[in-house]
Amino acid sequence: MAGSDLYVGTLDVLILKALSWGPMHGYGIGRWIRQTTEDVLAVQEGALYPALHRLQRKGWLDEEWGLTDTGREAKYYRLTPVGRRQLRAEITRWRAYASAVGAALDAVTA
Amino acid sequence: MRRLFRLSRPASEVSRDLSSELHFHLEMRTQELVASGLSPEAARSAALRAFGDVAQVERECRGISERRVRARERQAYMRGLVQDLRYALRTLRKSPGFTFIVVLTLALGIGANTAIFSMVRGVLLRPLPYRDPGQLVFLRQPATRAGVLNAQFSVPELTDYRAQTRALSGIVEYHSMPFILLGRGEPRRVQTGVVSANFFDLLGVTPALGRTFRPGEDAIGAEPVLVLSYGFWKTQLGGDPSIVGKTFTMNDHVHTVIGVLPPIPQYPGENDIYMPSSACPFRSSEQMINGRQMRMLTLFGRLAPGVTASQAQTELDAVAKRLHTEYPGDYHQDQGFGIVATPLQAQLTAQARPTLLLLLGTAAFVLLIACANVANLSLARLVRREREMALRAALGADRGRLVRQLLAEGLLLAGAGAVAGLALAWAGLGLLTTFAARFTPRSGEIALDAPVLLFGLGLGVFTGLLFGLLPALPTRVGLAAALKDGGATTGSSQSLRARAGLVVAQVAVSVVLLVGAGLMLRTVLALQSVDPGFDPEQVLGAKIDLNFSKYTSNELVQEFHQRLRERLAAQPGIQMVASSRGYPLDGRRAFGFDFQIERRQRDPGQVRPQADFQAASPDYFRALGIPLVTGRLFTDQDGPKAPSVAIISQAMARRYWPSENPVGQRVTTDSGETWTTIVGIVGDVHQYGLDAAPVDEMYLPFDQVPLREGALVLRGSAEAATLVRRVKEEVLALDPDQPLAGARPLVEVRGESLAAPRLTATLLGIFAGLALVITAAGLAGLMAFSVSQRTQEIGVRMALGAARSEVLGMILRQGLRLVCIGLAVGAVGALLLSRLMAGLLFGIRPHDAATFALTALLLLFIATMACLVPARRAATVDPMVALRST
Repeated sequence: MAGSDLYVGTLDVLILKALSWGPMHGYGIGRWIRQTTEDVLAVQEGALYPALHRLQRKGWLDEEWGLTDTGREAKYYRLTPVGRRQLRAEITRWRAYASAVGAALDAVTA
Repeated sequence: MRRLFRLSRPASEVSRDLSSELHFHLEMRTQELVASGLSPEAARSAALRAFGDVAQVERECRGISERRVRARERQAYMRGLVQDLRYALRTLRKSPGFTFIVVLTLALGIGANTAIFSMVRGVLLRPLPYRDPGQLVFLRQPATRAGVLNAQFSVPELTDYRAQTRALSGIVEYHSMPFILLGRGEPRRVQTGVVSANFFDLLGVTPALGRTFRPGEDAIGAEPVLVLSYGFWKTQLGGDPSIVGKTFTMNDHVHTVIGVLPPIPQYPGENDIYMPSSACPFRSSEQMINGRQMRMLTLFGRLAPGVTASQAQTELDAVAKRLHTEYPGDYHQDQGFGIVATPLQAQLTAQARPTLLLLLGTAAFVLLIACANVANLSLARLVRREREMALRAALGADRGRLVRQLLAEGLLLAGAGAVAGLALAWAGLGLLTTFAARFTPRSGEIALDAPVLLFGLGLGVFTGLLFGLLPALPTRVGLAAALKDGGATTGSSQSLRARAGLVVAQVAVSVVLLVGAGLMLRTVLALQSVDPGFDPEQVLGAKIDLNFSKYTSNELVQEFHQRLRERLAAQPGIQMVASSRGYPLDGRRAFGFDFQIERRQRDPGQVRPQADFQAASPDYFRALGIPLVTGRLFTDQDGPKAPSVAIISQAMARRYWPSENPVGQRVTTDSGETWTTIVGIVGDVHQYGLDAAPVDEMYLPFDQVPLREGALVLRGSAEAATLVRRVKEEVLALDPDQPLAGARPLVEVRGESLAAPRLTATLLGIFAGLALVITAAGLAGLMAFSVSQRTQEIGVRMALGAARSEVLGMILRQGLRLVCIGLAVGAVGALLLSRLMAGLLFGIRPHDAATFALTALLLLFIATMACLVPARRAATVDPMVALRST
């Protein structure tokens, strides 16, 4: 469940984007989102995991168990080909959405 | 097996992964915060705060993951199954001969069983289409000492049983009569059920249109009303939706239609229309209402709530006893009157049950043989495939997977067999319905409905599992062994024993079926050779039921018949015409009556003399070819005013005048008021069936006892259809309101009385033949396989000097040894089982030695033929080739 400040689907597209650089564990994905969005999106960190599992169930993500830099065993997520296609589609959709909303907010006439 | 069918990963695995994932997150976050300068405790609680409700998140994630895991495993399983099926299809396509034989064998087995089961279900298993049908009972009044199964009931008896029986919540009457429907074109004969007003309420029938009878509508003087059967309404009245309220003229009354029955089978008989008892002039006559001996009603009852059939029987017995003491004159002690309540369903199916169960058992045996054969073929094939299986096992397929592979093949074959079998059953259904109609009024309820289809498919799955798994069992041992010795046949000696056992079982079951079919065939032959006592060739029988509101006196009936005879006798192509009560095998039971012999005292305990009553005009005996033994036949002088005379059957003469000549003796049926002189003796006639012994019969001149419900017997060289047309025309010429109750050539009537046993024999014969062919194929297959396995050994023997004939004999001996064991087992089984069909046999005993011997010979002959082909191949083995092929 995304935080109340999040627009629907925001968390999903951010997860897909984070994984586009390569396999990552849940903590890494959360940290990446925090850093790149500069904490603007106040995500309750726990909400990340149901989202991850949901995307995995949809077949967009795959899991594999690997070792971290510190030698710990952790669950890594990886984009599936379907997930990668989905990311591209979501990005296009977001851009269109943002520009439409932006245009509306910038409008000077009623 | 468990692993094979497991659909989801244990939940513990999902949740272990999940909690380690969440812990990892919290730890990393804590470390991050510590690195930024917080104390470990503060860092830990900050991490938890940032995370939110851990338990909630964990629950949510687990739900999602478990669904995902389950879906994935289901998918994997289905993919595996599809793969198995596809592989099975490929394998089967590679051996089309095997596939064809197996599917055909199974189709025959499953088809036969499904068809027979559809009969058993429709007739025996399916509840009657009435409310609480288990509570309905059929009442009959036997006179055991007089040999009467059901004397039926009179109106006073109905009234008494109704008033005095508490165990039955209601008793209703039924009888069926032909009436004549007028005013709608050609006069039409309508079969009419005459019933109590509460008849349909007691059965629990809701009308399709209008209403059924109301209480009081069977009271004398009530308005005449009618309820139509659904079939009559649809076919004769075009389903007229506004039929209720319309009127019909029947006989001399106007009847109003009040309702139409739903389309359900009618018991005890199909009728066109129903009327309350008061509307039937015959039933409401003074004579019927007060005559305790005027027994012509069929009674049904419904058990009161909580009352068992045996409790009701006890009470009915008590009532009967009271009536017998109260009216000793109407219940002669020496006739042994009683009353019996039977569940209605059992009553309706009593005749069909033994035949149907026999056929079901037979069909099950055929399926058993078919399964044995398929298992046999599969085993042989498996031995040949042992190397393939071993290879696949070595390449990492686990046992479960291999078993599943065999199962997939089995199910695929059985599925194809089941579909083909259902098609066969469907094709044969019409034939079977006609067949069942000879035994039970319920034949209309036979259908390939959902339960029957399920039964057929269930059989398919069952057989598929059976022979899919059966060959899988030896592989438990065989797999590793097969791998070790490079495909030589370790498992095969074991499977050869199993296959020999299967063949023995097949032979045994075949013996049982052949004996059954043989006994039935002999029964038909015996029935066919029964001398019916009359010559049916060129004879036509026609039933003539005269309208009783028009032909009110004996004179009118006699006159009608006399004029009809005269007119017909004048026609070309008709040699003889006679009036009578009926004709042999016409299905109408003659009245029986008591008589006394002049100057002969009866011992008090002795059963009083009884005979069946027949009426015949002079030419009756000549027309039917019934021989005169002594005395004379009737002549035209034995008219209505002439002295009363009678002709008796030989059986009757032998029984009552064993040592004297009955001709000239006198008998009386009314305690001496009038006397009848016996003038002749004629040959015995099988009146009620070729399998029923001739009864004692007394013929009276038709003109002296004219019958409103009578018949006409014609001997003529003209075509049967022409004769029927002539009779119809002449009847209408005499009375345009008089339809014919039915006319048939006696050859046809006689053939029909043989039809039921002939059909049973045919079906049994087909089944037995099927079994024989399947068994022979199984035996030949086994021997061929055994020869191919022993090629080397045979080669050695021949190299050491064995003659070809010796090899031939060796293989034959091997096969026939199995056959003989099977024969012995089968003979014992047949001895035990054939006794069960004793009731269906005629003129032969269930353990008839000749039938058994012939069966054994036939089987030995067929088995020798089946063994000969592989044996000859063995004898042509080239020792050099055989020895080199190691």
